[in-house]
Amino acid sequence: MLLKTKNLMKAFGGLKAIDKVDFELPAGEIRGIIGPNGSGKSTFFNLVSGVYDPDPGSYIEFNGHDITNEPPHKIGALGLSRTFQLLRLYQDMSVINNVMSGYHTRVKYKFFDAVIGRKKIWDQEKEIKDEMMELLSFVGLADYAELNASELSGGQRRLLVLARAIAMKPKLLMLDEPAAGLSPVNVDNLMKIIMQLKDKYGLTLIIIEHILKVVMDTCNTVTVLDHGQKIAEGTPSQVKDDNAVIEAYLGKKMNDEEMRKALAV
Amino acid sequence: MEKFKKIISQYPFLGFIIAYLVLLCVPTIFFTDLYQSHLSSLIFINIIVAAGLNIVKGYCGQVTVGHVGLYAVGSYTAGCMFMYLGSDLWMTLPAAIIVTGLFGIAFGIPSFRLEGPYLALATLGGGEAIRLFIENGEFFGSTYGISSISQPVIFGVPFDTPDKYYYISMPVMLIAVYFSYSILKSSIGRAFMSVREDPISAAASGIDIKKYKILAFILSAMFAGAAGAVYAHLPPGYIHPNNYTVIEMVTFLAMVVFGGLGHIWGGIIGAIIITIVYDLTRPLYEYQLFIFGLTIVLTILFMPKGIGGFIDKIFIDKRFKKKKVEEGK
Repeated sequence: MLLKTKNLMKAFGGLKAIDKVDFELPAGEIRGIIGPNGSGKSTFFNLVSGVYDPDPGSYIEFNGHDITNEPPHKIGALGLSRTFQLLRLYQDMSVINNVMSGYHTRVKYKFFDAVIGRKKIWDQEKEIKDEMMELLSFVGLADYAELNASELSGGQRRLLVLARAIAMKPKLLMLDEPAAGLSPVNVDNLMKIIMQLKDKYGLTLIIIEHILKVVMDTCNTVTVLDHGQKIAEGTPSQVKDDNAVIEAYLGKKMNDEEMRKALAV
Repeated sequence: MEKFKKIISQYPFLGFIIAYLVLLCVPTIFFTDLYQSHLSSLIFINIIVAAGLNIVKGYCGQVTVGHVGLYAVGSYTAGCMFMYLGSDLWMTLPAAIIVTGLFGIAFGIPSFRLEGPYLALATLGGGEAIRLFIENGEFFGSTYGISSISQPVIFGVPFDTPDKYYYISMPVMLIAVYFSYSILKSSIGRAFMSVREDPISAAASGIDIKKYKILAFILSAMFAGAAGAVYAHLPPGYIHPNNYTVIEMVTFLAMVVFGGLGHIWGGIIGAIIITIVYDLTRPLYEYQLFIFGLTIVLTILFMPKGIGGFIDKIFIDKRFKKKKVEEGK
């Protein structure tokens, strides 16, 4: 198992944002996480990537390492990369610098080499830049390399965030609503790029997405969260017909009598 | 020209050697009196401080207003070492850098929990505390300051006049700028920038935020310490607590903001311009602070990235347009 959580819990005050979630993800899989707003999907990401500390009793394991209470940068260094729902681009940095800062954990030279400015630094920097330019042209942003990230359009920003997350060559990539706010054509284009990257770098993916078409078409397995609890897990077609899932999204099926009661109150 | 650019980008050290050779010739060709040499030394000292301030403020985005306190620590480390041990610049410079670096840690720790204006207040308090401590300490010469600090002697030649001291301050400045250049151009500089832009996603990219924040403070403190030591030995070798007030801090900030926050040459451009303007407007002493305050405000409003960023932007836009036109064909 690449990622495993056991009894994962997180409460904000009285609200149980994540309630005893057991989650297992084998390497190479594409996993979708769906659920209504406020069901704890993003909190799940934040717990796994170390942005939040989980409540006592939780256990998270990544690639054989216990990462339950590790700080986010250590988890990142282990090869777990993620994107954010609100992108969190480095607005005031050039596009190429955005991607190159994603490379941080793979930089080989030592601190003092950089201070003294030895020749091998500049050679390696050039290598990094070439590699990152290649990645940028793969996602179609090579022309914009020198511009500030804030000058990109919404769709380009989503691609840039993706490229930045890939730059660290992760084992597991967690995408938090990668296609939010994109037009259907752009969504298809983005998913195509994501799938190409997956094959190219041998990634394992977790995707949170509200666009069900994306989830149903691409994911091997889907996990459904509601009120912080895992209510269903299975192939997309299994999940689609699951009563608990339909209930979470559309509400409970009621017979006439129950309906009258509910309306009378 | 293209070939030359390529060589420089591979061996930035060469660029600094050329700069050194050029600056060596400048006094003999252009300078007509001692005051110009003195002013150049002041410019070099300010460049060192501004280059350091640019690391912590421009690149790492930590608002520090106590930097002048660190500058004072550097000066007084040198001054006290001279006063009590009789050390010369070659001893006091490294000592000042190390001591100020340690003070930098103390200034950096609040940045773990404070941000923006709150951090500014904390560091302002720190800087003022250092100045008041010096002003009231007999050990530091209190309000009399420390006077007639020695100038370095090389092969029996004393560098005790402004025109000779130029040849001391200039290489120190170049070495400092070289260090700042290679730090900021490497992955460390990028890590600083990403901490400035978005700490949460920086951490997700595997960047240790606390480590880089404290590193930025230590590095910039070391620059301030070096500048302070060079300033202490500047002929006539006199330092006084009044040289390290908030007013000086505003001048340093004006340099970095005007030159370009987060631009690799920002602090240097700003230091040159502001120091010269500051000197030329000495007769208008009462209005200087007003003008500098106004400069900062106007720069932030109309040129948020300062002169350096402004010029960069023009070139980048030009290249981008050119590329687009070529593709169009």
